[in-house]
Amino acid sequence: MKMEEMSLSGLDNSKLEAMAHEIYTDLIDDACLGLCFEVHRAVKCGYFLLDETDPESMKDFEIVDQPGVDIFGQVYNQWKNKECVCPNCNRSIAASRFAPHLEKCLGMGRNSSRIANRRIASRNNMNKSESDQEDNDDINDNDWSYGSEKKAKKRKSDKVFLHSLKQPGFVNPNSPRRSKSIKHKNGELSSGSSDPYKYTYNSGINYETLGPEELRSLLMTQCGVISEHTKKMCTRSLRCPQHTDEQRRTVRVFLLGPSASLPEPETSVENDSYDPSENQALMSRLQWDGSSDISPSDSASSKASTNNSESKKTKKKKPHLGLNSGSGSSQQGLGGSSSKKKKPKLLAPPTPSIYNNIN
Amino acid sequence: MSKEAQMRATINQKLIEMGERERLKELLRAKLIECGWKDQLKAHCKDVIREKGLEHVTVEDLVAEITPKGRALVPDSVKKELLQRIKTFLAQHATL
Repeated sequence: MKMEEMSLSGLDNSKLEAMAHEIYTDLIDDACLGLCFEVHRAVKCGYFLLDETDPESMKDFEIVDQPGVDIFGQVYNQWKNKECVCPNCNRSIAASRFAPHLEKCLGMGRNSSRIANRRIASRNNMNKSESDQEDNDDINDNDWSYGSEKKAKKRKSDKVFLHSLKQPGFVNPNSPRRSKSIKHKNGELSSGSSDPYKYTYNSGINYETLGPEELRSLLMTQCGVISEHTKKMCTRSLRCPQHTDEQRRTVRVFLLGPSASLPEPETSVENDSYDPSENQALMSRLQWDGSSDISPSDSASSKASTNNSESKKTKKKKPHLGLNSGSGSSQQGLGGSSSKKKKPKLLAPPTPSIYNNIN
Repeated sequence: MSKEAQMRATINQKLIEMGERERLKELLRAKLIECGWKDQLKAHCKDVIREKGLEHVTVEDLVAEITPKGRALVPDSVKKELLQRIKTFLAQHATL
C-alpha cells in the first residue's frame, strides 16, 4: 500500500489530469443515461408528447405585448372606477373599498366585533354612575393588575377597554364628586382629549385646550406634570413615581397661577371626608408605623391596636375599597400625607384591606 | 501500468465510499438543468423519436444518439468547475 501511495504522489500532473477527466466523463455519461431512461419511460408510458400543442391553440395563448394591456390581454384598470351597490345598505361603494365596507356593514369580520365592543363599553362608561369614576382613578394607579381584575368581572370588553382607560380617554376630576358640572366637564374632557379608540401609549392631555376650571379639576386627581418631549400632561395618579412633587407643584403654579391651591397640602379645602385633626392623628400614626418595624416587641401590640382602630375607621368610610382604592382614598383622606412623606409608607390602612381581599 | 489502474480503482473506491461521487453527481445534474442542457437534449430526443417512430424507439437507440451530443453540449463553465472539484479531491486523497 505504501509503495502505491508513494507512486501516486509521484505521478505527473498530466496523469492526474487524465484521471480527473476520466472521472468527469463518467459523471457526464451517467447524466446522459439518466436522461435517456427518463425519456424512454415517458415515451413508452405515453406522456412524452403531452406538452405539445398545435399551432392554432398556440396562437390563442401567445404573449400579448400591447400597451395598456397585460400579457394575457386583459385591461388593468377595468374595475377600478366601477361602483358596486351594497346589498345591505344599498349605497354605491367604490370597488376597491367594497370589501372593507361589507365587513363593517354586515358586522362580520375581524375588526367589526372589536369596534362594536369598544363602542358599547364607551357608552357604558359615559352613562355609568360616578362610583365607577373612582375605580377609573384607581386604574390609573400603578397597581394595574388589581384594577383590571375587578373590571374584568364587570364588563365584557375588559383588557381592550382598560387600555384605553389607562390612557387619558377618560379623565375624571374626582374630588367634588356629586356636582353636575363635573359630569358636564367629564363629557367635554373625554371628547376633547385624545380619541379613546386609538390607544397610543404616548397620548396625554394637551393643557392648552382646556379651560382653567377643567385644568383645576384635572389637577386635583392627576399628576399633571408636563412632559418636555410631548408637551402633554402626565395622566397618572397624584403619586406617580415618574414625577416628583416639586414638578407637580411647578406645573400647578404654571397652569393655574401662583395662587393656585395645590392638591397635596394637608389642609386641603375640598376634602369633605376627613377632619384636619384626624389628618394629624393619622400622620402621627404613620410615623409610628415606620418605627413599629424597628421595635416590634414593646409597642407593636399597642400600635397595632391603634392602627387597627384607625384602619377600621377608614374602612367604614369607604366600604368598597380594594387594595388600590385603599391607598388612593387614604391618600386623599389623609390630605396627601403620603405624598409629602414618601418614606413612611401607608402600612396601616392598606394591610388590613389586603387581607380582606384575600379572605 | 497496472499500478495506475490499481490507483484508479483505489481512487474510485474512495470517491464512492466518501460519498463524494454522489455529491458530484447531484451537483452536475443541478448545473446542467440550470444551464438548459437538459431541455436542449430533450428536444434532440424528440427529433430522434420522430425519426425512429414513437412505438419502436429503444433505449439503446436513444443512448447511442444522445450521449455524444450530450457530451458536446456541456457548457465550459460547468465542465471547468467539475474538473476543479475532482482535482481537489484527488490532491487531498491521493496522498492518503
